[in-house]
Amino acid sequence: MSKKKPYFFNYKESAFRYLLISCSLVIVAFFLALFYMLISQSLPAISSNGFGSIFGNIWDSNNGIFGGLPAILGTLASSLIATVLAIPISLGIAIFFTEYAPARTRFILSIFIDLLAAIPSVIYGIWGLWVIAPLIKSGIQQPIINAFGFIPFFSGPAYGLSIFMASMILTIMVIPIVSSISIDLLASTPLSLKEGMISLGATKWETMRHVGIPFAKIGIFGAVILGLGRALGETMAVTMVIGNSYSWPFDSVSIFSPATTITSKIASELYEATSATHMASLIELALVLLIITLAINSVARLIINRATRRGYPQ
Amino acid sequence: MRLIGRRSKERLILAGTFFLSIIAIIPLLSILATVFINGVSAINLEFLTSLPAPFGESGGGIGNAILGTLIINSMACLFGIPLGIFTGMYLSEYGQKSRLGTAVRLVVESLSGVPSIIFGIFAFTLIVTTVRHYTAIAAAIALGLMMIPLVAKATEISMKVVSNDIREAAIALGIPKWIRTTQIVFSIAKSGVLTGCLLAFARISGETAPLLFTSLFSFFWPSQVDQPMASLQVLIYNYSLSGFQDWVLKAWGASLLLVLIVVAINVSVKFIAKPKFKGSA
Amino acid sequence: MVYKLETLKLKAWFSEKQVLNDISVQFPPKSVVALIGPSGCGKSTFLRCLNRMHELVPGAKVSGQVFLDDDDIYSPKMDPMDVRRKIGMVFQKPNPFPNMSIADNVVAGLKLAESHSKNDLAEIAESSLKSVGLWKEVKDDLKKSGASISGGQQQRLCIARALAMKPEVILMDEPTSALDPASTANLEGLIKQLKNEITVVIVTHNVGQAARISDLTAFFYLGVLIEFGDTKKLFELPKNPLTEKYITGRFG
Repeated sequence: MSKKKPYFFNYKESAFRYLLISCSLVIVAFFLALFYMLISQSLPAISSNGFGSIFGNIWDSNNGIFGGLPAILGTLASSLIATVLAIPISLGIAIFFTEYAPARTRFILSIFIDLLAAIPSVIYGIWGLWVIAPLIKSGIQQPIINAFGFIPFFSGPAYGLSIFMASMILTIMVIPIVSSISIDLLASTPLSLKEGMISLGATKWETMRHVGIPFAKIGIFGAVILGLGRALGETMAVTMVIGNSYSWPFDSVSIFSPATTITSKIASELYEATSATHMASLIELALVLLIITLAINSVARLIINRATRRGYPQ
Repeated sequence: MRLIGRRSKERLILAGTFFLSIIAIIPLLSILATVFINGVSAINLEFLTSLPAPFGESGGGIGNAILGTLIINSMACLFGIPLGIFTGMYLSEYGQKSRLGTAVRLVVESLSGVPSIIFGIFAFTLIVTTVRHYTAIAAAIALGLMMIPLVAKATEISMKVVSNDIREAAIALGIPKWIRTTQIVFSIAKSGVLTGCLLAFARISGETAPLLFTSLFSFFWPSQVDQPMASLQVLIYNYSLSGFQDWVLKAWGASLLLVLIVVAINVSVKFIAKPKFKGSA
Repeated sequence: MVYKLETLKLKAWFSEKQVLNDISVQFPPKSVVALIGPSGCGKSTFLRCLNRMHELVPGAKVSGQVFLDDDDIYSPKMDPMDVRRKIGMVFQKPNPFPNMSIADNVVAGLKLAESHSKNDLAEIAESSLKSVGLWKEVKDDLKKSGASISGGQQQRLCIARALAMKPEVILMDEPTSALDPASTANLEGLIKQLKNEITVVIVTHNVGQAARISDLTAFFYLGVLIEFGDTKKLFELPKNPLTEKYITGRFG
């Protein structure tokens, strides 16, 4: 019943192998093309204005001046604030999940965390714009201005759509990333060490504090960097609540003033770019963003890989 | 005395972490609630099946946006899922240690961190400027590229966890490697791959930025794929910023549809994959 | 005497470390040969050289010749997959394909390597299952997953799967060490029956098992074949003092 093949060169095996390799190469090609397109399309701006001009602080498309610093600073500031605020909340969730929550609660909580991550950015935007911004404006921003308005950072007037608002929304979007990785890290604390603490009569918190967190520390740091990377690239939610204005930080330092980010600027202006240099400058901004996010994400992945590989026996 | 202090501290931490968890959940519940409350009144048969009414008039619907999203997503899946699955297969069974495998793994990892707007700009510069008009195909390419890392990673991981005993059994029977990869290992990994594809689909359903410069928007039924096309996401973005009450209401309605799809997919995959119960409580 | 399987100066390495040295043996047809020896002596490596699975380990090397009837399975003209279809293997841990039914498991090797008609496959499945004594137990559950049956049944399923290929030799790598005593006894009875059809080469760390079921026994130590011969004679009057020490349990 079986036919003897004189040569055992199996063409189907090779064909399949080449199929897989081609697909992988296609993806590598797209990745390289991504860089190539961004670089080549921003060349008109780089060649006419020089690369450094993107870091100026005036954006005047009519006169060909394209300084993107306020947008870059807006991106960095809103993302950093959001990430810092997200840390305690994410850690709290992770500790609660791994040590205190009963099984059913854990299942529900994990669904909630996944949903937080899954809600589309534009929905965060519409919710932030129509539901939260008015509340925050009168309920949080105004009182703070009344109390601390003498400090430039908290000076009025209270714009609902502001860098403060964007940071709030970004915080919520960063939480699921940091908490889910932290949960994985805390859950893989070596059992033998935990049992050592427990057998000494330690409480759950003491075990967490002396064994769990020290072990997971580095990985959690990596998770935070990853969350930062996510915040940096966020577009729609930020665009809809940040106010899209160049006044921050050079005209007004207040966190309650409208501002803009790289992504918001591109999202709102690319469609109506008036000149080739205008478009090229926007793409140059995108290139800056790409470089920053790739760098941040690589660092984050390196840290997390190192942390999970360093012998966490199950 | 000290023991009482420790117990109270424990209770304090429990309360504190529980409270922090609630802080994170409240926005989620608020979003779900407001989307539902504001959106449900907009949804009726006309809303789901008709074209937008002329500006300024009320009535009409978002039928073209619903259809457009389906079309664009389907095209993106056609592009992204096969590429993602084959790449994942390669990484798991053929490229574990090779140099190409390492490079591909690095690229896939990097792609997953690229902001979505960059994909949109890429498709814009690659396709839209070349053909000189906005087209839904460019949107499909951008979204498809976003799907690839998710699908590839899910495929790779699902196949890697298949026990090596199974591969040995297949080798001992003289089954060729490509048959072993597709009909045995992949078959066992099916549910993981399906989960990855569903989650990738949910992910791109919500992505708006890439569509802003590719498929743009349209007030008509999708007729050709090589033209601008309406989509739920861009509709929500445009309508909610319009200041026109009827349109804002429609934006909430569209948001409700979008949230339903995304929530449905994310909850149902929890029941395909084995639920992981981490923690010691 | 025509030998079914013969090795000539077989050597094997894991990267730089040599684990088999000049093994030359002859196995007659329709017999059971037991390979015994302490952990790390090379018996499993030797087994895997017989169906060309050792060479799949990264850095592994094989030299020497292995003849199935008159053909050297290591000749460059031989397709390794062909070799494995003629020389089947059963592993220590039962490994049925969990995504296939019991019936599909039995004929997996046939289905996936060549094309057969559906009726053929059903008949082959039935006769293979009968020959391992599993037919009565699973004939009403043929559509259930291959992993849904007990460990002992799974192992018999794996043997049926290997036998469905109509191999000339079947290799078994400690097939009963993951099973309970009842299943073990069951399997030993099956092996004794199988030798009426084909040659069985079985690696076992259980000296008693070797004595019970095999016709010939080979004793390995540190990669060298110390003694090989008729099982009864080897156990009653071992020629080599090392053999005697191992059988009597003084080491290993």
